[in-house]
Formats: sequence, structure tokens, C-alpha cells
Amino acid sequence: MSSSHTFIGAVEIGTSKVTVLVGQYTGRELAIIGCGECPASGVIKGAVVDYKAASDCTHAAVEQAERDAGERIDCVFLAQTGSHLEGFYNEAAVSVKAADNMIDRDDIRTVCELATAKELPAGRVVVRHLRRPFRVDGRLVPTSPENLVGQRLEVGYWTVHGQEQRLADNMHVIRGFNLEVRELVLSSLASGHMVTTPEERQHGVLVLDIGAGTTDYVLYRDGGPHTTGVVAIGGAHLTNDLSIGLRLTDGQAEKLKLRYGRALPQTRDRNEKVWLDGNYSIGDRQFPRHSIEQVTSARFWELLEVTKKKLGNAFAAETCASGVVLTGGTAKLPGAAECAAKVFGVPAHLGEAPAWITENLRDPGCHTALGLLYYGVTAQSEPAASSRRRGGFLHSVTRLFANS
Amino acid sequence: MGRSGRTFYERRKAEGRRRKCQDREDVVAVKENNSPPAARSWRDIPQNVKPRAMSREGRRRLKLRVFRAGAGALVLALIAWGAWEVASALRIDPQAAPSLASAAPVRELRLATDGVLDRAWLARTLQLPRGATLMELDLGRLRTRLLASGQARTAAIDRVFPATLAVRVSERSPVARLAAPAGAEGAGPLLVARDGVAFAGEGYAPAMLATLPELEGVKLVRQGEGYAPIAGMGTVADLLARAQLDAASIYRSWQAVSLAKLASDGEIAVRNRDGLTVIFGTQEDFFRQLGKLDLLLDAAAGKPGQAMREINLSIEGQASVALAPAVTPDAAAAPPAADAAASDPPAAPAPAPAAADLSVSSQYNIHL
Repeated sequence: MSSSHTFIGAVEIGTSKVTVLVGQYTGRELAIIGCGECPASGVIKGAVVDYKAASDCTHAAVEQAERDAGERIDCVFLAQTGSHLEGFYNEAAVSVKAADNMIDRDDIRTVCELATAKELPAGRVVVRHLRRPFRVDGRLVPTSPENLVGQRLEVGYWTVHGQEQRLADNMHVIRGFNLEVRELVLSSLASGHMVTTPEERQHGVLVLDIGAGTTDYVLYRDGGPHTTGVVAIGGAHLTNDLSIGLRLTDGQAEKLKLRYGRALPQTRDRNEKVWLDGNYSIGDRQFPRHSIEQVTSARFWELLEVTKKKLGNAFAAETCASGVVLTGGTAKLPGAAECAAKVFGVPAHLGEAPAWITENLRDPGCHTALGLLYYGVTAQSEPAASSRRRGGFLHSVTRLFANS
Repeated sequence: MGRSGRTFYERRKAEGRRRKCQDREDVVAVKENNSPPAARSWRDIPQNVKPRAMSREGRRRLKLRVFRAGAGALVLALIAWGAWEVASALRIDPQAAPSLASAAPVRELRLATDGVLDRAWLARTLQLPRGATLMELDLGRLRTRLLASGQARTAAIDRVFPATLAVRVSERSPVARLAAPAGAEGAGPLLVARDGVAFAGEGYAPAMLATLPELEGVKLVRQGEGYAPIAGMGTVADLLARAQLDAASIYRSWQAVSLAKLASDGEIAVRNRDGLTVIFGTQEDFFRQLGKLDLLLDAAAGKPGQAMREINLSIEGQASVALAPAVTPDAAAAPPAADAAASDPPAAPAPAPAAADLSVSSQYNIHL
């Protein structure tokens, strides 16, 4: 391994599959050099429920990605989702200390510490503090307010916290491969960073990452994340409804969902039927297409309604000029964007990765892993640096030999 | 009553007072510390897992990591131990390190060269002090001495412990001779290499030196202990090498090469043993010029009555030939005159201007 390069693994342990990307980071540039995927097991709604099974599939994906890259991963950026993640808003204000009312670093540090100092219930740990823009005497300051003149400095943080044991379970799965979790990134932030442009984030945009077990959302305003959250409903619920409604196995229901499922019903003819397999094999039978569309669209509509309800007052069409962007595997359901536009009352479209991403990684299911790498490297570089400093000289020497 | 002589009630009261003081101190401590208590972060979750909770690949990686860390620590420990040992030795006897080197004087000089220099020259040039050790030698100064001779183009000197000085030399190849200027040290002629450096050649066979043409029209300029490189020697060396390679018989007859008009007119004048002067131009390919010369010499060989005095090949596309005065039958049959000329003192040979006068009408321009 070259000493000037760091090989970062972006790991997303989802309900349906585990995705691993390997990025070569030189300090200035990031290149994706490997990819690995494996069907997930032992994971329900983003939470590890079977350590052995989850470890096996995750480690298989990591090994596949390392083989593809031809390099060993040094550290991991891990995506985090699950219904245990919650968030709250807390803000603080300070009076500017200097006689000439010029804001200095101490003022900024103090107000930030006050805004993030909120005790959590036992067993809960902070996953991420998301800062909203500063305000100086009520004036919005999107970047640093240092050296601006004002009397009162305010800032608010959207703090995301999660259950310590569940976070530890996810991290231990990675640690079981003897890899260090360098960053824990919210899935919604990772995918949101990938499928939106800075202009969209400035105008306000809602990103829905609809996975198999959960739906992660992030609402951007004023160029930064305003609110995040997780709804414990995903594509697996559509499959489950089909399975119960049409008396099918999960595998058969998944197959029908992928072939004929829609987010908005389209078929008018109630007598139109579709074959389960279409190869006249034993057990092959017909189902009304209208029924399949009804089941999937009703559940999808409900999913969006629940998300909108959870967003509450944070979402308003006036402050979300760029509309809704859908991503994740379930977002590929035909009519999903139209359905989202109807529910939220704003334009909606499917998210796309930037043009420079290669074709095999442009699938919506890869957006979270891609975003993990880019968001982890760019937006979270400072915490990563501070965590490295904690190791001290001996840790650095050990790493030097261990990585040589 | 308790052992301390206080009642249970008094002890409870004292305990209450102590707790109140403790609480007050805590409050003061919180007030003094302005930074509010921070909530636990995910970074506070310990990431360590037991090896049995790892996969096989994870355990393998862990073992490898531990092994590498251990090897690294061992290397560091060895380096530290060695440094400590050296430091201890020096602390006890500060002269210990130099004494190790001084214990072995230079016993052998080893020379590797691509030329003709030998160990005797090496010993003579280096002039090592008797009994000097390897560590006492100033290799930079010794190298300067080797290069000052001029014959050595590059030199590298290595200490081979315990007592050998290894010298590698690459030598200059001489392409011409040059008479040493009057008053210069050493009576022998100098040799000139392709890069224009003049040096007193050592170790060359006299027969080889006799084949080298002599340079004329060159003024040597002193530079330090030697001479400044002669300008234009690269072009002359190209001509000589080309002639040596492609026209060996012609080259063998060459006696002197004049650089007098090289800088001004771009001409190299070559005089052969028969007195014929051939002027080569530097603008045209030497191979072609040698070809013309060979053609002319062959043509002249078929006409024994017409001796050539000068051939000028520097004019592109043609050759100017100046013929020597034709030898008349009378002159040929006048042995007394020839004898008289031969019996004259060295200054007596037939004067060249007379021949030139006779050859005015015998100048030809041959278009090739």
C-alpha cells in the first residue's frame, strides 16, 4: 500500500443487500476502485438481529470489494439507519463579548457548545449534530459569522441520536473483520448528498431514500440539512402486503412486485390478469393486475403519507422549491415520482447520480454507498481528523507498521 | 454514645453539614467550568470485539496486524539498544570510535579502469601519506587529484573496510597529439580528447600514439594547473573518427590537422605525409567529403604526371584541386640540381612560392 493513499470502504448494511464500495483517497481526490454486493441476512429494518448471519454477508461483500479493488481497506465509513434513530432541535444564543461587537472564534465556539449540550436519555448516544445557519441579530449567515458585527449570535442544531446497543451491533459487525469504523454517516445524508445539487439544497429539497426495510428522509433548507428522520416502512412492506393479500410466498410476491407493481394504479381493466411465472409450470397461476397495483399503490401512498406526517411543520411547499427527490431501490417502482408529487404537493423526480459516476454504479440502490464516500470525505473531514489525533504517537507508530 | 463521644443525632447532623458542603462545592465547580456537559457520542462506543466474535479473515488480519506491530516494536527496540550501546561505549571512552578506524592503515589500492592507467599511476597521483587510515583520508581531495591529471574523466573512490581504497576511473580517449607549449612542464607532447581536454597521456603504446595526427593552429590557454579545453575538438574528432572508420588508408597518411580556420571559416585543414593539404568543411557531411577525396585520389593515381597540392572539399557540390607544378623531363633528368638541393642545409629545399607560381594555371574546379 502506498503511504500517501487511504483506501476507504463505504459499507451499507441494508435490509435486502449489503453494498460495499472501495474508494482510494489521496487527500485531494477520491476514486472508486472496487465494489462488492451480497444479499443481506440477519438484518431487519436496518438493525442487526442475527450477528453471525449479518457478519457473514457483510464480510463476504467486503472481501468481494477488496478483490475487485485489489487493495485492502484501511477504514470504513458505515451507513446508519433504523427506526431507533431520532432527532431533536436545540438552539442557543450568546451576546457578543467584544466591545466593538465583532464576533470572534470564542463566541462561535461558546454558542455551538451551548446548542449541542443537551443531555440524552440513558442508552442514547449522539450520531450527528447538524448545524443550521447562524443568525446574527436575526440576520441569516449561512457560513461562518467570524468577524461580522452584531450583538446577538444564535445557532441551532438538529441532533440525531440513536440507541447505543444497536449502533454498537452494527459497528461490531465491521470490527469483526478487523476494520475500524472511522465515520458513522446517516443513510439519508449520504444519499441526499449524492442525488441533489448545492443549488437544490439552497432552494430547499426533500430527499426520500426508500429502501427495503426503512425510508430515510432528509429535508434541506438554506443549503444544509434541516431535518432528518427514518420511517420504518419500506419496499419489504409492499412485498408483505402482496404476499398476504394474494396468498403468495415472499419470493413470489417480490417477483410480482418487481414486474407489475406500481406506485399509482394505471390498469383500468379489472379482468386483465398476469401470470406468476408465465412458463406454464406446476403452481403457475394468474392474478388480476389491477389487484397488484392496488395493493402496492395503497401501501406506497401510505408510506409517503406517514413520512409527510412525521415531517410535520418542517415541510412546507413554500420552503421546498426544488421539490422531492426519490432514491433507493423501492423508488424504482413505476409512478413513484408522480405519487410523491401528489402526496407532497410539490414536483418530484427520481434522483440521479452525477454524470461522472460510471454506469454500473448509477443504480438508485448504490446512491447511499456512493454518498457515504463523498459525504464522508468532504463534509466530515474535521471529525475524522480529530479522531485520528486521539490515538497519539504510539497509535500512529502502530498503524504505520500495521499498514506497511 | 458512640466511640467518638458524640450522640447519634450529632453524627447525623455533622454528616448532613458535610454533604451540604460537598453539594455546594459541586455547584461552584460547575459554575466555574463554563463548558456545558457534552452528551455521549457514537465515538465513545468501544469498537473492540473479542477474537471469537470475528470472522476467520478478521482473525487472520488481527494476527497479521499484531505480528507486524510486534516486528515493528522489535526493530525499534533493536535500534534503541544499538544506540544505547554506542552511547555507552562513547561515554566510557570518547576516543573509542576513531580508534576503531585508526587501527587499520590502508594496505591496498584497488583500481578499476576502462583505459590504460595502472596502479603505479594511481599511487603516484594519490600520494597517500604513509600509515594513513581509511577514515583519515579526504576522499574529495583525492578525487580532485585524480581528475587534475586530465586523463581521468570521472573518478569514484570508496572505502572498503578494513584497509582497502577502491578507485574506479573512466578515462578520456585521445584523438590527436599536440606539441606542448614552450616552457611547459614535461617535454613530451600532449594528447587531446574529444571534449578538447589536453593531457599528458600515460601508459599509451608509442605505436598507437604515432598513428594520431598532430594538431596545428591551436593556442593553448592555461586554466588552473592544466589547460582550457580546445574549442571545436568535437567536430575534429568526428572527422577523424569517420576517416578512421570509413577511409582507413587515407587516415593513416594524415600527419597534421589544422584548426586555424575552424572557428572563422568552418574549415579543417588536413596535411598528409606527401604534403597534400585537404580542406574539409564543417557544413557538409564528412562521409561525403571523404568519398570525394577518395575519388580524387583514385583519379590522381591514374595520372602520375599531375601531383595535387591542395584539395578543397569545403565548397558544397564541388571540389577545388590545386595541382603541384608539373615535373618536366629536364627537371627529372637533372640529378645534379636535385642532389644539390638535397645536399643543402635544412633551409635549402625548393621554395614553395616558386611552385605556387607555376601552378596558377593548373587550378581546376571539379563538379561532383
